[in-house]
Amino acid sequence: METAPGVRIRDLTVVYNTPMGELPAVSGVDLTLTPGTITGVVGESGSGKSTLALSLLNAVQPPGRISGGSVEIDGLGDVVRLRGEELRQARGRKVGYVFQAAQNSLNPLKTIGKQLLDLGRSHDVADPRALVRDAKDLLARMGLDGARVLDSHQHELSGGMRQRVGIMLALVLNAKVVVLDEPTTALDMITQATILRIIREVHEERALTTLVITHDVGAVAEVADALAVMYGGRIVEHGPIADVLGAPAHPYTQGLIRAIPRLSGDISQARALPGRPPTLGTLPAAGCVFRERCALRMEICETVEPAPVTCGGRTVACHAAGHSLAPVKRKEYV
Amino acid sequence: MTRGAAITRRVAGHLARGVVMIWVVATVSFFIIREIPGDPVQGMYESLLQKGMSPQQAERATAVLYGFLPKGTLWDQYVGYMGSLLHGDLGQSLSTPGVQVTHLIGAAASWTVLPVLAGTLLSFLLGVTMGVYAAIRRSGKLGDLLALSGSLLHGIPVYVIGLLLTAIFATLWPILPSGGPVDVDYVPGLNPGYIGSLLYHAVLPVVTYTLASYGGWILAMKSNVVAVLGDDFILAAELRGLKRGIVFRYLARNAILPLFTILALSIGMLFGGSIFIEEIFNYPGLGLLLVNSISSRDYALMGGTFLIITVGIVVANIVADLLYTVIDPRVRSGGTA
Amino acid sequence: MTVTVLPEVAGTSRATLRRNFWRGVWRVLRRKPSRMAGVGIVALFALMGAFGPLLYPANLPRDDNALYAPPSLAHPFGTDFEGTDVLALVVTGARYVLLTGLATAFITVALGTAIGLFAGFRRGRWDTALMRLTDLNLAIPGLPLLLVLSTVWKFTSPLEMGLVLGLLGWGGVARAVRSQTLSLRERGFIEAARGLGLPTRHIVGRELLPSMAPYIAMNMLIAVTGAVYAQVGLFFLGVLPFEANNWGVMLNLAVFSGGALTTPAALPYLLAPLLAILLLTLGIVLIVDAMDEIFNPRLREE
Repeated sequence: METAPGVRIRDLTVVYNTPMGELPAVSGVDLTLTPGTITGVVGESGSGKSTLALSLLNAVQPPGRISGGSVEIDGLGDVVRLRGEELRQARGRKVGYVFQAAQNSLNPLKTIGKQLLDLGRSHDVADPRALVRDAKDLLARMGLDGARVLDSHQHELSGGMRQRVGIMLALVLNAKVVVLDEPTTALDMITQATILRIIREVHEERALTTLVITHDVGAVAEVADALAVMYGGRIVEHGPIADVLGAPAHPYTQGLIRAIPRLSGDISQARALPGRPPTLGTLPAAGCVFRERCALRMEICETVEPAPVTCGGRTVACHAAGHSLAPVKRKEYV
Repeated sequence: MTRGAAITRRVAGHLARGVVMIWVVATVSFFIIREIPGDPVQGMYESLLQKGMSPQQAERATAVLYGFLPKGTLWDQYVGYMGSLLHGDLGQSLSTPGVQVTHLIGAAASWTVLPVLAGTLLSFLLGVTMGVYAAIRRSGKLGDLLALSGSLLHGIPVYVIGLLLTAIFATLWPILPSGGPVDVDYVPGLNPGYIGSLLYHAVLPVVTYTLASYGGWILAMKSNVVAVLGDDFILAAELRGLKRGIVFRYLARNAILPLFTILALSIGMLFGGSIFIEEIFNYPGLGLLLVNSISSRDYALMGGTFLIITVGIVVANIVADLLYTVIDPRVRSGGTA
Repeated sequence: MTVTVLPEVAGTSRATLRRNFWRGVWRVLRRKPSRMAGVGIVALFALMGAFGPLLYPANLPRDDNALYAPPSLAHPFGTDFEGTDVLALVVTGARYVLLTGLATAFITVALGTAIGLFAGFRRGRWDTALMRLTDLNLAIPGLPLLLVLSTVWKFTSPLEMGLVLGLLGWGGVARAVRSQTLSLRERGFIEAARGLGLPTRHIVGRELLPSMAPYIAMNMLIAVTGAVYAQVGLFFLGVLPFEANNWGVMLNLAVFSGGALTTPAALPYLLAPLLAILLLTLGIVLIVDAMDEIFNPRLREE
């Protein structure tokens, strides 16, 4: 079996053109996806996580653009440099993408089957019948009647079914890197659990490298091997999921975890993070982006942006937490 | 609800509304004919009496013309008028004595329908193509220019376009005929000279129709394409690496769909809107028939033409709705779109 | 969320909003010089309608020696069949045309807004009935009906003409205002205001109407053009008696008496009113384009 490809994001910066000039939505992000793992990216809305996901396909939509950095994918090269046909063929074939609003990711006028064949034709699939067979298999694994679904229009399927169709379309061409942007948002709890289980299963079976973007720490905890926490366009903490969730080092991660209410625990123990998440316009130009909401704020946080430091398999970008970790070296968890 | 039942219900609704509209229009026609200053119905009756007809004969002769008897209560007259309408009897023409109004309308209809169809389809094709272009290039100079040309043409009344075209191509630089549907020198029939002359005379009217409705199409298509471009499924299709051509087809089909219903409606509406063009180019269609019937005080013909124009619009409404059920899978299955 | 928004809008911030609004208008106008031209053109026509007839004697002078005279310095657009200056005819005719347009626009917008608001606000049976009526209004062929009506009703004064055109044309505005009202309702606008104990009059007058005002204003402009075209067209067809000096009368006489479509002599007589209509259209299209950008920021190009 093929081995899973690795993905290395280096110093990635994405800016959006606004009336106030070009503002960064993602600034200088380093992130490595270990082959064969599921990496979760969590963050509040506006943290830049969806922009980061789109960057993996070099698909940042105007008025945004990738202004610097690289996204190396094994067997594909630097995606940021891909253009035209090369880029189009990489999308779908090499990198599968499950859309943020997968419920609306289908052409309302065509049956799923016809859209599947369009996908096959776009990627020069030699045997359409085999493609349909693969699609039916995938759908069946996800608990759907493949033949019926392929014969349906989008409006005849429920939200959860559309989501599964979206996942099927991302996997059916055997892409080895899969990006799922909010795969379980707007679904009920049972469907969420099913979808997460399917993601995990297919991931292991096919030896994929998977990136799951979500704002739901609980959801990502069930599937991911590693977790990256985004805030204000930066990755503030990144490490093995058990470490990050069990002993969060960054004050933002700590706040995020404290904010999750637990079924078994006391609801009053869940505490919302004070303040509001920054938007493109309110992001401070210098210093730590999190300092306004931070309990550990120090003088240096006003002027110097904390560099990511790695210690014990974990990367943290925080003056308060970073010093205790030492040695100060711009490196990240791999 | 099953698919068939859903469609039947929709068509039944449209039919009911259409019948109401035709009834309203017929009633308006009736009262106008009856209330016209000088009372032409009574005048006709009296002049026939003076010509020596017996009162019964004169009454019947008048009723043949106008559809109702010159005497009796308002209600009796109204019932009489509606009764003859139900039998498809629109009365007789006064300006062309002895000829049924339905016959005159039938003869005029083809002079309206063919140029209107040609002009509408031409403008639809042109406007939709340019609309896609204007949407894709909407932040560039050319897109701006296309949109502005659309707004302008959409804004200019059809008679201004027609008069300007004639002034340029018939008066100043006489390369096209200014009026009439065909040269009288040719024998009507399927001979090349006659057909050539027909086409030659149709150029200006058809171009006028085309320019007059082109603006609406380009504007509508542009805004639809811009809206669909913002839809998630287009970005999703691109992220799946679909070929540009296929993505474009997704885009175009979704954007054009709502326009098909407008197309059917606008063909219906043009029966009324053809009045100016037929007047300018002296084209013997329904519009000219209506104007001439008014200036020659041929009220039965006027009422009949008005009614037929209305029927055309009602039919177009039903066709538009049926078309929608056929081409949009969301409506087709009876679900909510 | 909406509940907290309402009190904020009231009071001093309303004045700030207004100031920002005018600043926005100015910025949008300045971005494209063509839009300034639009404002200029419409202002020119407004002046023409208001003061044009004062520039000339009540009975325009005729020159029997210069029938259908070609354009010259004295007569920039030549003369008509009686030797009257065509430019003077266009300028003095503007008042009738624009007055009708204004009257129509006023009636269209007042009727359409009232019916649309009522239907959207009341919903239920009233809504159904009023929308059926609106459908009928939209579907009835307006021009043929006008022609037929002209046989019994000589609506030649501008106000009468405006009344007829307005009564025939309110459907589009009603439909649009209704859907706006419904969408505001869906966003919890009305319920929130109700919850604050505001009377209906206040909700409609202070909350609903202002948020729809730009839309209504745009429709009013479009209604003016529609009315101008319709009445000029009616006079051009010759179904109305020529009582007033009017662009449509000029077109009719140029085409059907002057033979402007076959001989070049009467062409200036034909082209002058056509140019006036074209210029007015251009001005209004440019202004509507600017208004579109002011009120629908979504359309703004990046």
